[in-house]
Amino acid sequence: MDQIEVRKVDVVIAGSGGAGMRAAIEAQERGCSVVMLAKGPARANHTRMAGGRFNAVSGMNTKDSVQAFYQDTLDSGAGMCRPVMARVLAEEAMDRALDLEFYGLTWDRTEDQRYFVSMTGGGSFMRTLGSRDEGIGITEVMLQQLYARRIPVQEFHMLVDVLRGEDGAVEGCLVLDIKCGKWIAYQCSVAIIATGGTSQLYQTNSGPAINTGDGIAIALRAGATLVDMEFMQFIPISFVYPPSIRGYTLLEPAHYGKRHVNPNAEAGILLNTRGERFVLKHDPVRREGSTRDVLARAIMLEILEGRGTPEGGVLMMPDPDVLEDFIKERPIYSKRLLENYGEAQARFQAPIQVVPSALYTLGGVYVNEDCQTSVPGLLAAGEAAGGVHGANRLGGSSMPDIQVFGRRAGISAVARVHERRGGRIPAFSQSQAASLARAKERWLGQTGGVRPVEVKRNFQKLMSDHVGLVRSGPKLSETLRTFKDLNDQVLPGLSVQGKSRVLNRDWMEAIELENMLSVAQTMATASLMREESRGAHFRTDFPDTNPDWRVNILVSQNGSRLKVERNDMAEVVA
Amino acid sequence: MNNAEIITVDLRRFDPSSGEAPYYQRFEIPAQPNMRVLDVIRAIYETKCADLSFQYACRIGRCGTCSVKVNGVPVLACQERAKPRMRIEPLSPFPVVRDLVIDRGEVESRYVDLNLVPARGSPRGEDIERITPVAAEQICNLDRCISCMICVSACPAVEERAFDGPAFMLKLRQLSLHPANGQDRVEQAMEGGLMECFGCDACTQLCPTDLSPAQAIRELRRVKVFGGSQ
Amino acid sequence: MNGTKTVRLPRDTTRQAESLVIGRASRMTHRITGIAIVLFVLVHLVAQSVLHVPAFSAWKTRATWLPTLVSQNWIHAVLLFAIVFHTLYGLKLILSDLGWTFDYRRSFLLIVGISILFGIRELARYAGI
Repeated sequence: MDQIEVRKVDVVIAGSGGAGMRAAIEAQERGCSVVMLAKGPARANHTRMAGGRFNAVSGMNTKDSVQAFYQDTLDSGAGMCRPVMARVLAEEAMDRALDLEFYGLTWDRTEDQRYFVSMTGGGSFMRTLGSRDEGIGITEVMLQQLYARRIPVQEFHMLVDVLRGEDGAVEGCLVLDIKCGKWIAYQCSVAIIATGGTSQLYQTNSGPAINTGDGIAIALRAGATLVDMEFMQFIPISFVYPPSIRGYTLLEPAHYGKRHVNPNAEAGILLNTRGERFVLKHDPVRREGSTRDVLARAIMLEILEGRGTPEGGVLMMPDPDVLEDFIKERPIYSKRLLENYGEAQARFQAPIQVVPSALYTLGGVYVNEDCQTSVPGLLAAGEAAGGVHGANRLGGSSMPDIQVFGRRAGISAVARVHERRGGRIPAFSQSQAASLARAKERWLGQTGGVRPVEVKRNFQKLMSDHVGLVRSGPKLSETLRTFKDLNDQVLPGLSVQGKSRVLNRDWMEAIELENMLSVAQTMATASLMREESRGAHFRTDFPDTNPDWRVNILVSQNGSRLKVERNDMAEVVA
Repeated sequence: MNNAEIITVDLRRFDPSSGEAPYYQRFEIPAQPNMRVLDVIRAIYETKCADLSFQYACRIGRCGTCSVKVNGVPVLACQERAKPRMRIEPLSPFPVVRDLVIDRGEVESRYVDLNLVPARGSPRGEDIERITPVAAEQICNLDRCISCMICVSACPAVEERAFDGPAFMLKLRQLSLHPANGQDRVEQAMEGGLMECFGCDACTQLCPTDLSPAQAIRELRRVKVFGGSQ
Repeated sequence: MNGTKTVRLPRDTTRQAESLVIGRASRMTHRITGIAIVLFVLVHLVAQSVLHVPAFSAWKTRATWLPTLVSQNWIHAVLLFAIVFHTLYGLKLILSDLGWTFDYRRSFLLIVGISILFGIRELARYAGI
């Protein structure tokens, strides 16, 4: 192993999505030196893939209010949201939407040049902004902002671990330059975890290949606490075939009917193979305009009980009357429907097959409203952080989340840097960095074992079957035992045959697999502990919601074991 | 692609750290229904060649990072349907880091130089910017460009002349339409070789996002030649 | 149900490498026809000079390939194709710069079609039809 190159910077941001970019802009604007790391190209992130819908109280709908948005968030979260985080989200969302326009994004407008707002599944009022360029537009506009501000963007730089001093505070970041296989240690006062979610842990998922939960695992190893790890959101409708696009979100049934612009109208109707409108059993009031957890589970149960199509989905009947508006508002989705399903489906004249898919990590690193973790100098924002959305996220709330908390992480980072500047300049231990790096190199050149990509496939199936939409105590315990085996026996023996250190994908996947396993253990453990069903977490052995379980589950690392505890919610003051 | 059972791929390999020259390696992969080029590449990686380097992320045509050349045509690997015989190469004319992964440093530094942001002197106001729905739609439309560089790769003027490339011209057009634009985007385009475009529309045909950089170039050129508002 | 058939869908761009890249074909054809026209003019110049300019009469005996070349009537058909294509495509480029929009595929095929017609007409003329 070569010498580790040392670089100095105030703030290291791991993750190039909306939260990472927003934090970078804020921290740099306030005078700190920043570097933003992306595991691959900067544009390869989850924000890019998003529909770009943005819940905000913009004044367009006089019936709506910050209180209503806040209440919708709490209701959707089934009592699991941290009230202060939900309130901050509701209050600051609009300012962040204006920020995005300031950067160059243009929200869709109506004839009188005001914002066009629409409905989201589970919300009470129309408040969702949107733009035709979706997540592509948001990420492009923000990346150009970073360029204009000369903020350094380091692509193919993977955060591998955080380096802490004797006092437990963050003093550096160990980073692998994947392009040449060399190690870099950033000496810094703050590390912001904005690495996104854990969708890659599941077989059918809607996320990018890079969302392997690295940042969450790194935070856990660094001594931070994780919250709500049992809650994983599944988008109810996604592509069923072909395999290349399977799992990619198809938005919400609301988009395929007049409900999109009229809260009292119908959404796209969901039918099983018997032609039954099964959602009515689960939510007769909101029907297909219900929240994602209810819809996803309804669909999954139909499929599991044998009333799904041979390809493994159910049928959605769109309303042909909304076709023109759909194409106008969502040309990208219309194109994908055409290319993958066919012209009849793209013209809303044939049923569209759909299946639930792992979309969003509701839990994550436990932070306060200033994105601070229990580890001094370690912050987290975006999908990697938990507590904002509780047990189920409203559609359209992730975009404001990453902007609101990305900015707050930037502000906290600056405060921390100033705090540190008063005292001695932090320096991490070279030997600690070197031994961590050597540990990650242990697979290099190892032959004869099983390849990371193969383990990943089996692992993803296991997660989908037992730690997905439908869980049960015995299966969770069995899965935890399998995880222990994977950890103790399979992980050390992974084979990374390629000798070159340049863009060694097997090596990167081995490091990712270690993180994925670590995160999966916390998810299964928290799921086993919660003996009830709530929001996105559903157990067949405890199918009802139990008010005694109106607590958050916190997971932290204690040596080689996990420490799990309940955190009673404070009374919600309206 | 329904009847072939085997897909034969000639894939360009190159590892700078090995000291060897680039070469083409042949792989054979069992065909599955509806395979995309990315599926074939991943199958090669998973079953035939553990040290293959390639790039992808979203696999649904939005991140723009999986661009490669298939049978001489630049495409998105995740979107292009697999064919029974394929020659897969990294996207030209960019420097190759390894196998199918290219170095986009020069592309990104060109974006930096263009300063593709509206001019904002004072801090942000509290009111909604007045933008007509048509203008918002036009800007949003051009903002859908995913920077995949397929148009730049296919452009004959980039090959033969001092031309930055269609993608950059399109972004300049997008900014020129923004009500708060503060720079002469047409002049920037001129410096980037606006007049070198042949009008062949190869970029329009190959754009995976249904945009027309050639149309943006024509609009910019018209402003340059005939003046008037942008 | 309203007229949903008339709504235009986005394109299916999953077969890019299977289709002819019209831009490449049109650019190549425009370039080649341009060269062909220049070459023809050059040969025509030489041929006419040999016939009418006294100073070039010596070429008559030395350039034995010239009469053979000039008697190839099919070259006129190729020339007509080249002139018509180059002119029409050039016009299309100028018009698109001025503001007209053309579908690149349809306009290319139309121009090629018209040029071929002129070429065939030329062939027919020389064949005595």
